[in-house]
This record gives sequence, C-alpha cells and structure tokens, in this order.
Amino acid sequence: MTYKEELYSCTYQSCEDYKSKYKHIGKPYERKEAMEKVTGHARYAFDMEVPGMLYAKVLHSPHARAKIVSIDTSKAKALPGVKAVLTGDDSDLLVGLYMEDKWVLAKGETRYQGEAVAAVAATSEALAEQALALIDVEYEVLEPVVGLDKALEANILVHENIAEINHVKGVFFPQPNSNIASLNRSRKGDLDKGFAEANHILESEFSLPAVAHVPIETHVAIAQYDPFTGRIKIISSAQSPFALRQMLASTLKIKESDIEVQVPYVGGAFGGKAGIHLEPLLCLLSREANGAPVKLKLTREQEFNYTATRAAMRGKIRTGVKEDGTMVAADIVYDWDSGAYADYGVNVGKTAVYGGLGPYDVDNASIVSNTIYTNKVYSTAYRGFGHLETLWTVERQIDILSQKLGIDPYEFRMKNLLRVGDLTMTGELMTASTGSPVDCLQAAVKEIGWKGRKSEAERAAEWKTGKVRGTGFAMVQKAPAMPPNAASSIIMQMQGDGHVKVMVGGIDYGQGLMTAVSQITAQELDLPMDMIEVVRGVNTETNPYDWNTVASKYAFMGGNATIKAARNMVDQMKDIAGQILRLTKESLDHGDGYIFYKHDPTVRVAYKDMAYGYAYPNGNGIGGPLISHGYFTAERLTNLDPETGQGTPALAWTFGCHAVDIEVDVHSGEITVLKVASAFDCGQVLNERMVYSQVMGGVVQGIGSAILEGYKFSDDNVLLNPSFTDNKIPTMKDMPLEVVPIYIENPQLDGPYGARGVAEHTMISIPSAIGNALYDATGINFYRLPLTPENVALGIKSGEKDIY
Amino acid sequence: MLSKFDYAKPLVLEEALNVLSKNEGDTYILAGGTDLLIALRHNLIDAKHIIDIKSIPELDVFEFVEGKGLLIGANVVCNALIESEIVKEKYTALHDAAAVLATYPLRNRATLVGNICNGSPGADLPPSLLIYDTEVKIASAEGERTVPLKEFFTGVKKTQLAANEMVVSVFLPDPGSAEDRSCYYRQTRLKGHDLSSVGVACRINGDGKAAIGINAVAITPLRLTALEDELNAKGITEESIDWAAEEIQNHIKPISDVRASKEYRLHMAGVLLKRGLTHLMEKEA
Amino acid sequence: MTKVDEKDLCAMEQAHINSKERLVTLTCTVNNEAVSEDIDPTMLLLHFLRDKLKLFGTKEACGEGECGACTIVMNGEAVNSCLVLAIEAQGAVITTVEGLSKGGELSILQQEFINGDALQCGFCTPGFLMSARALLDRVPDPTDEEIIEGMSGNLCRCTGYRQIFEAVKRAAKREREELSRS
Repeated sequence: MTYKEELYSCTYQSCEDYKSKYKHIGKPYERKEAMEKVTGHARYAFDMEVPGMLYAKVLHSPHARAKIVSIDTSKAKALPGVKAVLTGDDSDLLVGLYMEDKWVLAKGETRYQGEAVAAVAATSEALAEQALALIDVEYEVLEPVVGLDKALEANILVHENIAEINHVKGVFFPQPNSNIASLNRSRKGDLDKGFAEANHILESEFSLPAVAHVPIETHVAIAQYDPFTGRIKIISSAQSPFALRQMLASTLKIKESDIEVQVPYVGGAFGGKAGIHLEPLLCLLSREANGAPVKLKLTREQEFNYTATRAAMRGKIRTGVKEDGTMVAADIVYDWDSGAYADYGVNVGKTAVYGGLGPYDVDNASIVSNTIYTNKVYSTAYRGFGHLETLWTVERQIDILSQKLGIDPYEFRMKNLLRVGDLTMTGELMTASTGSPVDCLQAAVKEIGWKGRKSEAERAAEWKTGKVRGTGFAMVQKAPAMPPNAASSIIMQMQGDGHVKVMVGGIDYGQGLMTAVSQITAQELDLPMDMIEVVRGVNTETNPYDWNTVASKYAFMGGNATIKAARNMVDQMKDIAGQILRLTKESLDHGDGYIFYKHDPTVRVAYKDMAYGYAYPNGNGIGGPLISHGYFTAERLTNLDPETGQGTPALAWTFGCHAVDIEVDVHSGEITVLKVASAFDCGQVLNERMVYSQVMGGVVQGIGSAILEGYKFSDDNVLLNPSFTDNKIPTMKDMPLEVVPIYIENPQLDGPYGARGVAEHTMISIPSAIGNALYDATGINFYRLPLTPENVALGIKSGEKDIY
Repeated sequence: MLSKFDYAKPLVLEEALNVLSKNEGDTYILAGGTDLLIALRHNLIDAKHIIDIKSIPELDVFEFVEGKGLLIGANVVCNALIESEIVKEKYTALHDAAAVLATYPLRNRATLVGNICNGSPGADLPPSLLIYDTEVKIASAEGERTVPLKEFFTGVKKTQLAANEMVVSVFLPDPGSAEDRSCYYRQTRLKGHDLSSVGVACRINGDGKAAIGINAVAITPLRLTALEDELNAKGITEESIDWAAEEIQNHIKPISDVRASKEYRLHMAGVLLKRGLTHLMEKEA
Repeated sequence: MTKVDEKDLCAMEQAHINSKERLVTLTCTVNNEAVSEDIDPTMLLLHFLRDKLKLFGTKEACGEGECGACTIVMNGEAVNSCLVLAIEAQGAVITTVEGLSKGGELSILQQEFINGDALQCGFCTPGFLMSARALLDRVPDPTDEEIIEGMSGNLCRCTGYRQIFEAVKRAAKREREELSRS
C-alpha cells in the first residue's frame, strides 16, 4: 500500500472494507482546495483589497433600550480623510428577510446593546477609528424588555408598531400589542383524547441560552454603490450570494440585476453568514462616499455583540404515556428569546413546529412556537436551525419519561420511533426512502456498549472515588428548512484539454462542497478527479443560481443538479459525436474521456476534441462550445397549513443518534467526554473523509453548547461576555478522547446515488446525549444548558434531583 | 488603537528609569506586551511613550543561589519558569501556575513581573509567589526599594507602583529544607486556556507548616495567614484538612461575576485546598 | 487605568501626529528574505506582515491573543503577532505560513494536514501550521500531551481538532524519519 492508502485504512473505513460500487462516489478523495489553504494562498473576504477602498467603523449603542436624543457627527465629518459619516437619520431603509423591522442604523431608539448607531468610512482604519471617537451621542435610557416572561407580559413593547411590520403573510404571524414576532403552530390528532388515554402525564421545562457561531473569520464585506449608474458590487464572507442579492435589491428598492455579489473563500459560517448583514450599511456608506468601495471587518467583539446569535429558548413539554411506554400525547410550547429583530430567527421559530417533536410516532400532538422580541442582540440561523434546542427539550423529556416508568431508555425509544408507514408531525409518510432512526439508535447504542442504567448502589460506590461515569444517548433528526421551491443549479464547460470546469452557486466554507461536486462530475462523465475543476468563488454575475448554502441541503440538491448537468453534457456530446461518427445516439456510450460506439469502442471521439466545436479533417466545423447545465428543484414540497402545520416541508430527513460516555468530577462538576459514537443514516456516503470531518467538528461544537457556551447578560441586558476572554469555545484540550462515526446507508431514492445531507446533524443532539449521560452518572436531571462545572457542582451540592 | 506613542529600547536600566522619571501618567513599560497591547487596542490607556525593556541585560537575571534564593528579573517569561528544574523542584507551585497560564505562545512572551504588575485579583502566579514570601524590587531614578509581595497589591488592577517606578525583579527565598513542597490547583470553565475562577497555592515547609495563597476571591490575591495559623496549630492531618476546607469559606469574600458565582468560588476554594494539602501530605509519605 | 477621553482629540493634532516624523525603520528577516520598511511605532507586527509585506496568510481573528490565528514563528518561538508591535521585531527572524514551503513543494507538515483533513474552512490553518512548526522545531519527538499543549492556543470551529492533532503527530514521525535518512 502507498503511504496514503495505509493512512486511510487506519483512519477511515473506506479503503479497506468499504468497497464502493461506484468508481468515484464513496471514494476518500482529498479536499479539492486543500493546497490553497495550507499554503496561506486562499483569499477570504478578510484579505481582499479593492482599488480606492475606504475603511468603515461602526459605533454601537451601550444601552439595551434607549432613545437617541441627539447625535453630533460634525467633528467626525471635519476630520481630513473621512469620506462618509452616517446615522439613522440618513436612511429610511428597513431590512428584514421575513419581517422588515430593522433600520440599517438605529433611528430614534436603539433596541439592543450593541446595535449600530452611526458609521464612518475613511481612507484608513486608524482614521476611521479616530473619527468614531469624535461622534457624540446622547441617550435617554429606557427600561428594557429582559427575558421571556417580561416580554410575554407585554407591558413594554420592543416594537411598538408590531402590527404594521411588513412581513411574509401566511407564514409568519406577528401578534398585535405583544412582543411575539410570530406565533406558529402545528397539530396532529386529538390532544384531549390522547391525554385521556395516558397512564402517566409528565410536564417539564427545559431551557438554554444564546450562543455565538464563532466562525474564525468574522463577518467581512466590501461594498461599492455607484451613485451614477446605480449598480452595486459586493464582496462578502457570505453563505448565500443570490439570496443576499435578492434581499439587498428588496431593501434598497433597486433591480436585482444591478447587484453583483462575489464570495471568495469563507472562513466558517455555521448559519451566521446566511441572510444579509453588513451589506446594506456598507452600500449606504459607499454611496455617500461618492461610490468609493467601503470595507468593514468586524472585530471579534462586534462578532459577538453586534451580529446575530443562536436564540435562547425555553421549551415546555407535557407528554402522556401509557404504562407500556407508548407515547400517546405531546403538548409542546417553544418560546424563543430571539432578541431585538426577527431576522432569520423568526424562521427558526416557525421551523420548530414541524421539526420540534423529534423522530417519534405520536398520534396526538401540538406544537406552539413563539418567536419573541426582547431588547438584546438578535438571533439568526445557526447550525441545526432550532433542532439542537428542540431536541434538548424532547430527548431529555424522553429520558426522564423512561426513568419514571422504569423502562430502559433504549427500549422506550424503540417503542416510539418513527418507522415505515408512520406519519411525522406534519403528516408526512415515512417510507423506506426516508431513512431509519431505528438503525441509527441500534448502531450507536451498540458501539457505546450500552448495558442499561447504572444502579444506585453502583453509583454510590463510584461516587467515593470522586469521579462517576455515565452513558447516555439521544436521537437526531432534521430536514432542510427551506422554501418548497428552493433550487440549485450547475453549469459545466468542457475545456480544450479535456478538463471540465464546473460552476456552482453554492458556497464551500469547509464542508467539502467542491469536492463532492467534483466526485459526482467525475462519476457521471467517467473522468479522473484531477480533470474536474470547480471554479473557485461564486459570483452572481457568472455563476448559476443557488438558493442558499444552508440546511445541509447542498449534497442533495446541488448533487442532483450536478448529475443533471453532467448528463446534459454527455447528451450534447453524443449529439455531435453521433454526427461525426455517423451513428445514432442510442448506439453511443461514454467513458474515459470519449464518446464511443457501443459495439466497437475504438470508434470514438474525445470529449476535448468537441470542447469548442469539432473540426473535420477537411476543415468543416460542427457543433460548438460544450456548455451544459442542470438544476434541481424539490418536487411536491408544500407550505405548511398555518393552523395545523400539516404539509410536506421536508426535502429529506436525515436521522441519527449520538451515544456518549462521560466522566463527571463530583466536586468540581467538570465533565470529561470519554467517547462519542455517532450514527447517521446518510443514504450513501459520497466521500467518507468529508462526513468524518463533519462528525469530528460537529461533535466538538456540540460539546461547546453542552458544557461551556452561553451568553451572559447583566440585569439591564448588557452583554457581559463579548470576547473570547469570557465567551469560550472548546480547544484541543476539550476534544473527546474518542469519536466513532458510523455511517448507515438506507438509500434516499431521490437523492444523488441515494445520498442525504449530513452536516448540521453531527452537532445537534450532543447536548441532549450528555444531559442524559449526566443523569446516568449522577442520578440528577439537569434542565438547563450549559452543563458547566459550576452548574453541575452546585447542582450536586444542592442535594436536589432536578436542577433547573 | 488611538494612542500615538514613541518607542524606545534602552540598553541599560538607568536610561529606562530616566524616561520613566519624566512620566506624567503616559509612559508604559513593555516586556511581553500581552497585557499592554490589549490595553492599547481597547483604548483603556493613552500612551505617549513606550519603553521596551527587553534589551536590558540585568533584567534577564534568573538565578538561584543556594542558601539565598531565586532571583527572577523582569524579562523572564513564563515558559522559562516552566522549563527551569530549580523552579520545578524548589518552588513547584510556581511551576504549576506558570504551566497553566494562558497558552504556549503567550507564555513565550508573558513575564512573571508583568503578571504581578497587571495587578489582576485573578492572576495565576501571585498565590504561588505569596506562599514563598516573595519580595519585589522596585526601581526609579531616585533609587531602589524592596516590598513584600503581599503588600504590593493594593486593589483591583492596582499596585504600589508610582508612575515613575518599575519592578526590576522578584526574589523568592530558598525554602531551605528538601521536605519543603508546594502545588497550585485552579478551577477553570473548560480544559482549554482560561482565566482562573479560583486558584489555590499550597505549601508545606520543612517544619510541616502550611502556607496558603489564593486568587479571584478578593480585590487582590491573598495569603491566608489567619487560616494557616489555625491549621498549623492543629497540625496537618486528614481531619484538619477537612476542617480547613470548610473553614476557608470564612476567610475569603468572593463575588459573583461573569466568570463564576460567589457560591462556586466558596465551594471550589475548599475543594482545591483539600486537593492541594492532601496531595502534599501524600508526597511526603 | 482610565479610558482615554476620546472627545479631546482634535483634527489638527491628528494631522500632526500622522506625519512622517513618527516613522521608524524596521529591519528584519521574513521567510528568509531581508526586509526594511519605515513604519509607525504603533503598527502591530500582524498588520506589518499583512498590510506592508502583503503576506495575507497570517490572519486576525480576535486581536487579543486568544485564538492563535495570527501565530507566526519569531526567533524560533511561536508568537501571537497581534500582541507584538512591529518595531519589537527589529533584527528578528520571522517565518510565516508562506515560508513553510519553497519551490512549489509542500512541507511534510502541510502534506499531512492535507492527507488527514486537518482543515475545513482553512482560516485557522496558517496559525495551526505555525504553532506546529514551532513545536516540532523545539521538540522533534513530542508526546501527545506536548502536542496538545503546544497547539491548544489555536482555536478551530470546524474540525474538532482530532485530525489536526493526528496530522501533527504523523508529521513529527515523518520528519524524524527524513532526518535520520539524510
């Protein structure tokens, strides 16, 4: 074996015993863009420079809620080198993906500590900083809305005009005279009947704080808005250039086609760079500066305190269970503390009504999901799109139910998991193509070596040593949350040397999108991987449309689009080759860089000879440049019924299960994650190395949410931990001792080669699994994240069995 | 960074002290810079003059003299403390504390003297220095003076240093006995790098007497002499260690802040004290 | 330390203190090349490398020494360049990620990062490579604990660290083998 083959056989399952039936699909190819990244040559928006560029800085409100009495920018404007100074008075633009509730710069009042109040653009960063220091703002501090209960009392409204906010009707439902940005609901069956049948009814409340995405590259954008032509050029560290263009056009009230968005390499995103962030402000600064390009790089503090977070959430769940463990009723209310603006967070709230029950077959269920305004930094899309939060509620409740009934938690889940023929919360039918939560549970639980719950006696004996161990597991289930008509498209161009250039609309921010697309192209065209080039960077002027690179949907949608584009390429080549070889299309096949006659492969034409049109020996030309395209739009998906939440929202459900082994120091409360076994039903592993990497990364990000991360606010909602000093993420010292990924493959019939997306999923149920393991270790149920050493130690010390 | 400063790198101490003597609250000493640069970038200070002391050879001193003690100059970085066999053997608590301070690359720059001059109540090194009766040598253009470390800290991020003074070295007396041993345990929010939620340095000297230093539970790092006296009067046993772990809560007044609650600090002070003293007792046996 | 009263800075003063009189000359070696530039003493080493020398591989991600994205090797040591004034590098020998490989041939360390998928978005990668380089130069045969201690000052959000750790371990072994062969 070569060095690399030996390496792969030790680390990955692929090379040795995983014999993929495909030539390229399933093979452990290395990441396409790795070379650029290890040499430091990869250019991110952070690195980009544009001629004549100005530098922007932003002034932020120090108060959670305040009236802006006055802003004096005269000294800043007088500073030589300052080309633009803006406040909320300079713009009437409202921004919002789903609800237009946010001014570009705070106007009249500020609604969160950290909100942008003024901005400058100057010829250097130092000058911009100096200019900012010369702006005087006078505030009248007002009482802020702090926390869910205060918000629901509605004595103070975060948005007094909530009834007038322009929003997507029929999908989001702002409640007048309240702080509820949207009330969404779903229901199934008959709750009253369900609870009447139940032998045991349990009501619990779970909660978790806001956390930060922490992409290592902060938000960065450069915008140029020519005041004469009205055209805009943007370079942005963004997940969704086309959506960005659409939203910017809508915000600025200009034509989409007048906006160009370019996305180079992106240094991490995790949902925080979907949507629209710095761009409107930068456009206004640029226009004010006579069309000079303006760049803004957020500092880490701004990344924590100015841009959006994952929402804090409280889940109230009431379940009815029969003696034998069958769940017959579930009544859930999710309250999302979503901060000052609706942004993407309101969609997370809405999604909870179909994703928020977990992968369980419950005949009678109701979910109400309230996205609630408070005066703090607002929330947006975050890896998992609400599923980490809802599964913290559901999977912990399931574990507690099994404790109370004296049923093994594995058996309890086996009894209630969705199987073929069952209906999901939204009334979707589970088929063999949907994937199997049961397979995932069985695989993870087997790998972790589950032998049943610890007994009191075992626990007491271990306790004396100062360290106790515990095992727990939790299910994962998520489908992409996307509009039913979301689309992906691909363009391919054959090159004269036989290489194929592939243009995608999706952004590779590390998840391996370019590599997956290359593999599919190689597979379909039967070419070696090194002849496939995915064009680096996405530019809306030239790359084909893709809705958004979020939701773990790209492998499915972009993958299918790639297959179609490749087959279209083959089709075009056969058209020409048929004429060249004087054969019908049906007699032709393709492979190894040639279109050839099925019955005599030596009769053939090379792809490259047709790349730009084919020339006969006598000079006649035929055909033309080979440019193919393919798109994929999900079929038969529907919107949700606004009352019942019934419909077909899910492109594909990816199920999974995390099982964890932990050790708890009973004095310090410190949790050490010893082993994680994570099983996912991927349908078909496209590239094990990429999935493996997602598991390694998602598990650690999940551990962050489980035992470490959380925003802390003062009594008047000022962020107390706006930097890495006190807003920590896991380091290399915090990685688990062992992580075992397990790939289940029940094919998704309409996925590319049967594949489903696996990306967000690897993070989602880690906190639930750890919470369940913590019960096994300590005999104590914790209801609130994070499970920090302090929270665990003081919980143990309290002597209580339920810690909220 | 709004400060506009000029930068000097003197080759002798006298030159540095002369610049300092003109100090009107706008001159700062730069050694490792791991605290200073953050203060500059956050505009917490307005610096007009920066004196880089890294080229002053006498500040590099890092010397143990048998029978006397260990002299650590202002330029000695944390990684040097960790790599020193003398520190590891004779002042183990200092080794332990240096080993957990910040991260490896920061420890290539961060100095011991910088850590104490920053005056943070949660600083990692002071508890280990306090239990060894560390002395601080302070110099100015007018001369030198020496103060015990326990008098050096005066409040949150406040020390005795006047605007025209700088610390040139610290001195840890030779513990004397081979039986002398110490350790430092601290609690953090994660296994990775963090400031201390609470950290306890314990020492048992050749006469079997304990010394206890602690951070993050008062406005300055503390030496718990009253607790030590009571404990030493009882003699150090398994029972008296358990007693001390409870009693320590009466000797400290932690607050709740973003890092940890008062309750957890009280709790962990006891846990870490027990862990430290027990470890040292087992070492002897 | 009190917050400077920013409102007292006036435009005229700004113009003066931005003038050429403030500039100092920095001479050092970066990636084996001699460098000499006039800079303001307030310039950070990180910004000198990126904005003056156009070496964009080294990244800024926190500005306070907490994340390691700005890690370079200076005089043989791993250092967070965001907390170093450029002028402190007078006479120093500096290596950035661009200096790890020459002539189009990747170093063993970089190869192992690719082989083992020790990167995803890649933004933290230069910092990790430089921490690893400094570690292996200092300790060619590191224990697992030494690797983790040397690298844990670098934050990554994408990879979960395991593959980075394994890559450094493999690189250490291969480098020792190369050395014993030569």
